Amino acid sequence: MDKQSILVYLEAQEGQIVKVSLEALNAAKQCAAKSGKSVAAVLVNAADAAASAAHYGADSVVTVEAGEYQPERYAHILKTLMERAEAELLFVGSTRDGRELAARVAAAFNIPCVSDATAISDEGFVRSIYGGSLMETIAVTGKAVISVRSGTFGKPECDESRIAPVSAETVADETQLRAVIRESVKELAESVNLEDAEVIVAGGRGMGSAEGFKMVEELAELLGGVVGASRPAIEDGWVPRNHQVGQSGKIVAPKLYIACGISGAMQHVSGMSGSGFIVAINKDEDAPIFDVADVGIVGNVNDILPLMIEEIRARKA
Amino acid sequence: MELLVCVKQVPDDSVTVTLDASGKPNLGGITPVVNAFDTYALEMATRFKEANGGNVSVITVGDLKENEKSLRSCLSVGASTAITVSAGDADAACALACGIPAAGTYDVIFCGSESTDVSAAQTGIRLAAALNLPVVTNVLALEPADGGLTVKQETEEGYRTVSVPTPCVLTIVKPAYDPRYPTMKSKMAARKIPISTVTVDAPAASDAAKCVKISAPAQRQAGVKIQEKEAADAVAKAMGMLIDRKLV
Repeated sequence: MDKQSILVYLEAQEGQIVKVSLEALNAAKQCAAKSGKSVAAVLVNAADAAASAAHYGADSVVTVEAGEYQPERYAHILKTLMERAEAELLFVGSTRDGRELAARVAAAFNIPCVSDATAISDEGFVRSIYGGSLMETIAVTGKAVISVRSGTFGKPECDESRIAPVSAETVADETQLRAVIRESVKELAESVNLEDAEVIVAGGRGMGSAEGFKMVEELAELLGGVVGASRPAIEDGWVPRNHQVGQSGKIVAPKLYIACGISGAMQHVSGMSGSGFIVAINKDEDAPIFDVADVGIVGNVNDILPLMIEEIRARKA
Repeated sequence: MELLVCVKQVPDDSVTVTLDASGKPNLGGITPVVNAFDTYALEMATRFKEANGGNVSVITVGDLKENEKSLRSCLSVGASTAITVSAGDADAACALACGIPAAGTYDVIFCGSESTDVSAAQTGIRLAAALNLPVVTNVLALEPADGGLTVKQETEEGYRTVSVPTPCVLTIVKPAYDPRYPTMKSKMAARKIPISTVTVDAPAASDAAKCVKISAPAQRQAGVKIQEKEAADAVAKAMGMLIDRKLV
């Protein structure tokens, strides 16, 4: 671990680095390129992902073996490594756990934390505010922790010939755990990859019911795409929450985005306005979704979608 | 148990915020409301009180006059005491960390997991660190347990069961139920409750992180709007455009 390098904490499962962590690595590399520093990747209980971290461009890799995931324990490890490396910056991918760890480490040092950064400009870290209505740029001086929003920085290039020095660090487990995770339950079986999808068909409140929402799924499948949703469809239980696009879900940029029965609240639009081509279907001709749509169909999704599905099926036959 | 809910007044998040002529967020015409996540926290605390006994208080940072309407609305849906913290230029977590011990002794401090205006999701965590209390984030439910609480934490793919001693801080996400509405009677009662102000000498917010620019995101151009009597005609037109662009 080079002194004063930029640290990036990578979450990994079974040797696979999670996507948003790779985006955090990309953000760290952008910062490093500007400041001439190196990037050290931190893997906790995930030494099997060390080679992969190097392939994606980490200059060095630090592995730590510790007890199972407990936020207090992991925050202590990251804080200790930041001190040891005399690192000014720690990057973390904004998974739920990542965003929490970022704030915990920052709180422990009493230093700034920029949550959910979406870009790095010459002036600082860019992030969205007011539900995506506006963007703010935060300039930090001195030590800081940055969490990186998924779907914003992209993965760094993978070069399997790259290697990086790997060092195993020991961090004494001296944290007295107070809040303790007793059990973890996985409810959502499938993992949803909205960020890499080329086609997303998304549904909102206008789909009317779980039954109606099935048309969104049918069209997505027909187009080889992924199912997205706005918040009302999630809250009504028509589709699991890992399909959510927008402020409290994923930021996406497929080639084709079809918004069905979605009115276009800022919180949703801010997550999908980077799409290549947007088709919107809504019965309300004044729905704000039409302001961002390349093609807007004013009509009832229950009339439009069956015909669209039929046409596409006919073309495929 | 003594339950405290930290609330923040924010601009109504269903309204798109634009920039004014000087490049600042134009919040003038937007109704201030209690941050949605804080309303979930208040409802959860109130349900906990109804099931297990205790008191629910709400606390906010800032001027009493500016926040009174929001605090009264909290008093009409479960809280029985309201406090404002006057802390000069301190950041919210620091102001709360100074104000809370001055206001009383609490077993559980609830915060919304984030605010709808800045969405940084840090206040609860920083408050806990400043008060040296344990914190559990993204809480969906809680129940009393030996020496503390058992809480259900929402995760990306499911949930976790977490044990935490009291006193502690919890940050709350949207559970399966909605916050209750006030009744005429509860609104009337809320009007009569005095709101206390705690003035603290908190250190001013650090300038290690500074907002140097606020900008509007790139606007997309609206394209073609298809409005046909027959759905089939609309679909035919739209399909034509998708086929031309080789998107289907």
